[in-house]
Amino acid sequence: MSSLQEKIEQYRQLFNDLAAKTKNIKELEELKQAFLSRKKGYITLLFDELKQLSPEEKKSAGVVLNDFKMEVQQTLTELEQKCLKPKAEKISPDLTLPGRKIYWGAPHPITLFQRKIEKIFISMGFAVEEGPEIETDYYNFEALNFPPYHPARDSWDTLYINDRLLLRTHTSPVQIRVMEKKKPPIRIIIPGKVYRRETPDPTHLPMFHQVEGLVVDRGITFAHLKGTLEYFIRALFGEKIKIRFRPSFFPFTEPSAEVDIECIACHGQDAQCRVCGGTGWKEILGAGLVDPQVFKNVNIDPEKYSGWAFGLGIDRTAMLAYEIPEMRYFYENDLRFLRQFNRR
Amino acid sequence: MNISYDWLKEYLDLTVLPEELAKYFDQIGLMIESIKKVNGDTVYEIETYANRPDTLGHLGVARELATLLGLPLKTPSWPLNELDQATFDLVDIQVLDSQLCPRYCGLVVKSVMVGPSPEWLKRRIEACGLRPINNVVDISNYVCFSLGQPLHTFDFGRLREARIIVRRARKGETLLTLDGQLVELTPDMLVIADESKPVALAGIIGGEESAITEKTTDVFIESANFDPVSIRLTAKKLGLTTDASYRFERGVDINTAPLGAMMAASLLSRCGGKASRGLIDVYPSQRKPKSVPLRLKRIAELLGIEIPEEFVVRTLTALGLKLNEQKPGVWVAEIPSFRVDLEREADLIEEIARFFGYDHIPSEVTPARSFELPASQEQDCLWFLKEILFHYGFDEVINFSFADQQKETIWQTGYQPIKLQNPISSRASILRTSILPGLVENAVWNYNREAEGVHIFETGKIYFWEEDGKQREEWHLGLITSGLKEGKAWNQPSRETDYFFLKGAIEDLFSYLGYDVPSFEPEDHSFFQSGQSVKISIKNEPIGYLGLLKPETRKAYELEKLAYGGELNLTALFGRQPRAFTFTAVPRYPGTVRDLSFQVEAQINFQDIYSQLRKLNVPFLERFEIYDRFEGGSLAPGQVSYSVRFFFRHESRTLLTEEVDRAMLNIISQLKSTLKIQLR
Ligand SMILES: [Zn+2]
Repeated sequence: MSSLQEKIEQYRQLFNDLAAKTKNIKELEELKQAFLSRKKGYITLLFDELKQLSPEEKKSAGVVLNDFKMEVQQTLTELEQKCLKPKAEKISPDLTLPGRKIYWGAPHPITLFQRKIEKIFISMGFAVEEGPEIETDYYNFEALNFPPYHPARDSWDTLYINDRLLLRTHTSPVQIRVMEKKKPPIRIIIPGKVYRRETPDPTHLPMFHQVEGLVVDRGITFAHLKGTLEYFIRALFGEKIKIRFRPSFFPFTEPSAEVDIECIACHGQDAQCRVCGGTGWKEILGAGLVDPQVFKNVNIDPEKYSGWAFGLGIDRTAMLAYEIPEMRYFYENDLRFLRQFNRR
Repeated sequence: MNISYDWLKEYLDLTVLPEELAKYFDQIGLMIESIKKVNGDTVYEIETYANRPDTLGHLGVARELATLLGLPLKTPSWPLNELDQATFDLVDIQVLDSQLCPRYCGLVVKSVMVGPSPEWLKRRIEACGLRPINNVVDISNYVCFSLGQPLHTFDFGRLREARIIVRRARKGETLLTLDGQLVELTPDMLVIADESKPVALAGIIGGEESAITEKTTDVFIESANFDPVSIRLTAKKLGLTTDASYRFERGVDINTAPLGAMMAASLLSRCGGKASRGLIDVYPSQRKPKSVPLRLKRIAELLGIEIPEEFVVRTLTALGLKLNEQKPGVWVAEIPSFRVDLEREADLIEEIARFFGYDHIPSEVTPARSFELPASQEQDCLWFLKEILFHYGFDEVINFSFADQQKETIWQTGYQPIKLQNPISSRASILRTSILPGLVENAVWNYNREAEGVHIFETGKIYFWEEDGKQREEWHLGLITSGLKEGKAWNQPSRETDYFFLKGAIEDLFSYLGYDVPSFEPEDHSFFQSGQSVKISIKNEPIGYLGLLKPETRKAYELEKLAYGGELNLTALFGRQPRAFTFTAVPRYPGTVRDLSFQVEAQINFQDIYSQLRKLNVPFLERFEIYDRFEGGSLAPGQVSYSVRFFFRHESRTLLTEEVDRAMLNIISQLKSTLKIQLR
């Protein structure tokens, strides 16, 4: 065997070693350059050496060298295919590990519930109005037909700022403000904060949220009040909820009603129920036809127009819906409580 | 108000069982709060309304049930044992203020044996939830809870000169009341006095001196009517609420006074007493009954259902109204004096609806002649603002609008706070003048309860006096970020929040809501560490501030962790018109990107560089991004290096390299002159 053939054997060995280690296109390119480069490739250099040999040696060594070149080319082609073919894509050894989370903030439950209520009324063509929280006695009481010094005011225990100003005890003054500036038809709801001078207990706090509704137009009846509020309550609590209207008293509505829904904790089955006290009913809102005196106070002719109004405590209704036992949870703002509501 | 089943039977021949009767109460709005068994009797605790003083006695409630059940209302008779003496020979009654005391009835019952009440009366008194005292006191309570007419009984022998004078108190007068309080009287208060001094606070409470005792033999019975407002003002002033004042301030039937006196005298007759002849009844200006018109068609117009005429007439008549028909379907109703609440047609229609049953009124959709626009732009903005913050991982809180004045002083909000006249507690004595203090309290609360990070916001009002003395309410947004941003997970380390997280959220608020890019100017603020806060404004209008909370504030609230906070005036922000949105055409020709790295003096802040870059007036420049900033390292001290990527584009063709080269030169020369940049 000629020394050239031995050399070829050594390069074959080298090539095979390097080819085995070649993992990517870059390494493959280096390997290709090292062996096949036109100037300095090993095989090119071997062919140069071949030219120096005697014709006989040239012949036998030439066959071996050509074989080697073909072998190299073929291996490189195979390697190239291997390198180009995408590597099997692997994610992780354990696909059951938890995914990456992006934390989405939680709306306050009162906001969430208020929005639910707003959406139902907006879908019925109502507009959302608002008004000041610091009110005068006129808007909070007098215009709503609370006579001065009347015990009717006792249920609306008031926080005063001075002799002229107070914190509104209900959202109803906004009814007056809207009717003063806008002529019928009126079709609005008014959500907002209200204040009462209450000693805190599980269902009473000095600040809470209310939503008020008001419709004024020709020919509005008590039947319209019933139908609309029943639709609203069903939209909020489900198609099957039992609803009852019973007579009540509010200075600014006549006739007045209170609306109860069946206790969703016990459905009237538990005489010891902590939610309904065993009555099977839970009061959720007060309503009625707008009192004619209220219309007169805003220069709307009660002979021409009629209307209905309602007021609902958002906090207490949300407590029912989410089965929250105490109102103070809403204002402690404990994240462990609040974050339960980002599941909307 | 406690209503006894057995007591009702004095007025009604009830055939329904006590348990069954309960549902009828509910139907007409006399809500039952509880049902108890007392001495074998059934006692309903009912909710009454401020406009229905007639339901504060069994007679009134019986009248309601009689109307509903179609039963006749019985009228018990009250026979007397009479003396030969006439009442006016025994006692002299003078009413000096008939405004505050429109009617005063009285008589004397002599030879009464004061002692324990008979069993039937004790049962009545216990049904009311009271303790039997003696027959005289129990009888006056029995009359009160029967008719809703409060009585007062005096020991006649203690009334000096046998005189009753109804007058205003004189300055400096006092009264030792039945419950042992010495009350200082003022001239706005009405008293019952004898010859020399007040013996009772009219319509509220009697005096100790003339009270019935075991030694009493002769009793003076007062059955009077007092002005509701005067009673209420006096009772409020003295902080006294009695069964009597509770009724008088709601309005007692002016025509029940004689019956009340006669009923008490009759019952005292049964205790050996003999009543003086002829009731004294001081009633100088007789009240005419109210007349209220009623139209049958109006009932249907308001209730949404036609109610039979026969039902209307029957119901209102049973309730004691007299209907005088003017023409078919039109009446004038004469209102009985015990129904102080019935004044207008609507009030009568409510009575009809109540007895017809709300359940029998149909349910209909409210028709609409027009639909309102659903929500104002502000309400939309407010909700969108919240959604952006949820996306950033802020949780929403709602705090009380009240604040602790002392604690708020630490913040020096600069607003004149609004104080409450009658706060619930001294820690809630003012209305808040900033959202942030509440958020700091929330952060502390949560850090004390396992939280590792607190990122919260609140939108709500702040309240303050303006310089002209007017109250003002402003919508604000407050935010706080503190502690770990995200919890540790297998594939991500936990991260501390920082100022730029908060700033990023605020920048996005402006941009997503369509407002101009705000400017952030370093400026000190009382909430924040010196040099660690910025003022946010749009076109020179201040909108808010943001920075690192002062350590002193954190200490006052015992908040250990660093906290970054911000507050925006949403009233000011939403008062600005956001940019109207219209789409921009998507480019159809490729753009060209060029990077530029330069250094500037460190006192030129980002805001300056950014605004100079925005001011660049260079053809084809579409936008730019600042993608790197560093100082130190190879840079000379006092120098900062920035790398900016510029995007060039022509809308209708591909740009030539030379055009972009020229634009870059232009940019460099402009920045050299405005910012004194040095290329790197
Ligand atoms: Zn229940």
